[in-house]
Amino acid sequence: MNQAMLAELKLLEPTPVPPVDSTQRLPVGSDIYNEIVMHLYDEAELLDDLRFSEWLETLAEDLEYNVPLRHTRPSRETDKSVIRTVQHMHDDYPSMRLRLMRLTDTNSAWGEDPPSRCRRLVSNIRAYITSNSNEYRVDSYMLLTRSRFDSDAFDLIPCKRHDVLRRENGKWKLARREVILDQAVLGTPNLGIFL
Amino acid sequence: MADTLHPDKLQSDPVLRDGTHLSDLIDMDMREVKMRVLSDPDLYEIEMKKIFARCWLLVGHESEIPNKGDFIQRDMGSDSVIVAKDAKGDIHVSLNVCPHRGMRITTLESGNASSHVCIYHGWAFKPNGDFIGSPIASECMHGTMRSKEELGLRKARVAIWGGLIFATFDQDGPSFEEFMGDAKWYFDTLFDRTDSGMELLGPPQRFNIRANWKTACEQSAADGFHTLTLHRWLAEVGPYAKKPDAEGKGGDLSPEMYGCEVWTDHGHALRCIELDRKIARLTGKDPDTLTVEEKLTALPPPGITREMVPELLRRFSKEQLEIMAWRPPQVGGFFPNGLFEFIYLPQPDGTIVGAMALHVYVPKGPDKLEFTNYIFAERDTPPELKAKMLRLSIQMLGTSGLVEQDDSDTWPHQTLAAKGAVSKDITLKYQACYDNKGPENWPGPGHVGEGFTKDDTQWAWWRYYHELMTAPD
Ligand code: FES
Ligand SMILES: [Fe+2]
Repeated sequence: MNQAMLAELKLLEPTPVPPVDSTQRLPVGSDIYNEIVMHLYDEAELLDDLRFSEWLETLAEDLEYNVPLRHTRPSRETDKSVIRTVQHMHDDYPSMRLRLMRLTDTNSAWGEDPPSRCRRLVSNIRAYITSNSNEYRVDSYMLLTRSRFDSDAFDLIPCKRHDVLRRENGKWKLARREVILDQAVLGTPNLGIFL
Repeated sequence: MADTLHPDKLQSDPVLRDGTHLSDLIDMDMREVKMRVLSDPDLYEIEMKKIFARCWLLVGHESEIPNKGDFIQRDMGSDSVIVAKDAKGDIHVSLNVCPHRGMRITTLESGNASSHVCIYHGWAFKPNGDFIGSPIASECMHGTMRSKEELGLRKARVAIWGGLIFATFDQDGPSFEEFMGDAKWYFDTLFDRTDSGMELLGPPQRFNIRANWKTACEQSAADGFHTLTLHRWLAEVGPYAKKPDAEGKGGDLSPEMYGCEVWTDHGHALRCIELDRKIARLTGKDPDTLTVEEKLTALPPPGITREMVPELLRRFSKEQLEIMAWRPPQVGGFFPNGLFEFIYLPQPDGTIVGAMALHVYVPKGPDKLEFTNYIFAERDTPPELKAKMLRLSIQMLGTSGLVEQDDSDTWPHQTLAAKGAVSKDITLKYQACYDNKGPENWPGPGHVGEGFTKDDTQWAWWRYYHELMTAPD
């Protein structure tokens, strides 16, 4: 790839999530770690219970939120199995606000009206100190179960989330989220829900 | 003129398990289709043979396989294929099924290989599908009963157009040009606009929907009316909500319904939506007083900048340029399972940013389809604009698309309803007909209607569906 192509790729892809520094891991049970766990659990509840306006308040205004494609590639090319040019979601704060306004301020968000019944099971939470004193890199696993209408079949969306959580005036804000899905072909009719 | 079935056709009119003929389910005079057609399993089998094994199908774009040996795996109806570039740079489409014992030749979505070696027993094939040999040929592994020529992968015919790769397994069917017919003249203004050509911005989004492929595809044939209701949010908080009164009151999407619609005998459909109101706002002038060049410069097509407009002027006929500046095709379908969107999205800052996307709806059984969404730009689109177009496409269309998530949630209901003992006899109706044949000065070919959107394009889709399904084998 030449310089121009690399520069273009940088524009198409989101800002990389800051890397994990394993020496900077917060011990399970430490105060900040506990706060982070509480925040993630509460966030899952806000979304499961359709409290979208409250969830919007937990998003930082410089948020980047993206859901890459997954691609079936050979073992020695696993780096190519995550695609960040075309993605399933590539959002910032204004576009997330529009998504949420569609749900809260209209009566015609048919893809989620009536809403799906979702359950976000969050686990395997690891948190790391970053070079910004008020920001933490937080990784978690999530299994989202989605039920729609009268179907007894659940759409399952298992994923790993790479977050940057920021502590601002005693509140936690989501500054960055990248969601690594486990399916190359998603088994749900849309992502009208949030991961 | 009433449609009557030619006696030849009557013989090949599919008969379903209870003795019903397909032609009993489609009323050509009343323009109605019984819902049973939407998800009948017998019909599905016939569709795979009579439509998907015969039509030219979109399988990807050249920019996905730029280098020798590059390949992608795609679906043509119910069949998986390998789309590969050979050492000479030619593109081939071959069935992804090993002629030995039926293993998939590749299990990857994409890659690079100078030869494709089946992992099961090791038979090897060239990127063009030719059989190279078996690993233990000295022990008669591939026998002597069949020649090497006979042991290659099944090859499809290939047509490359504006970088788009189309293929068909029908060796004796119509040429790609014949198949595209009158639609090609319009599609050229979308897919073949610049010297450098289009490029895909990444692999396609893929997701499954529990719906029959036809629910998505009859809508793709330019269903304009559904925008007003299913996509009403667009006028409530969406991109069209705060447009100035001159473009139709905020909250009213109906001005977006005016223009011309074009359909062809092969079921291709285009909604050519008028740009006059947008151009009037951007220029402060009456569009009738502007030249084609001035209009294109004021509002270049999606992916095109002002600087690129001279290229358009050089490449297209006067008639095509007139359409591009006045009523360009913005959404529509290519038969049987493709949809295009070349849309102009008003932004909060008053500018307009384009999005270019193609969808392929891959049938995955009578009750399931895979939505495959390709996002494009021109190679020469400046990188900053490409990045904007990419984000807007993702936010509006496809998996999480604020617009299209409503579509994908609707089709499963139609599919389920089509199974009801009583419901299956309810008809889909296409009775909103144009009362005109388009403006007298309309510069393009095909069947044309002018005014508010109508159903003629979608009915043309069903007519061609009917024609293919009742065609002799
Ligand atoms: S099935 Fe492919 S080599 Fe045997
Ligand atoms: Fe739609």
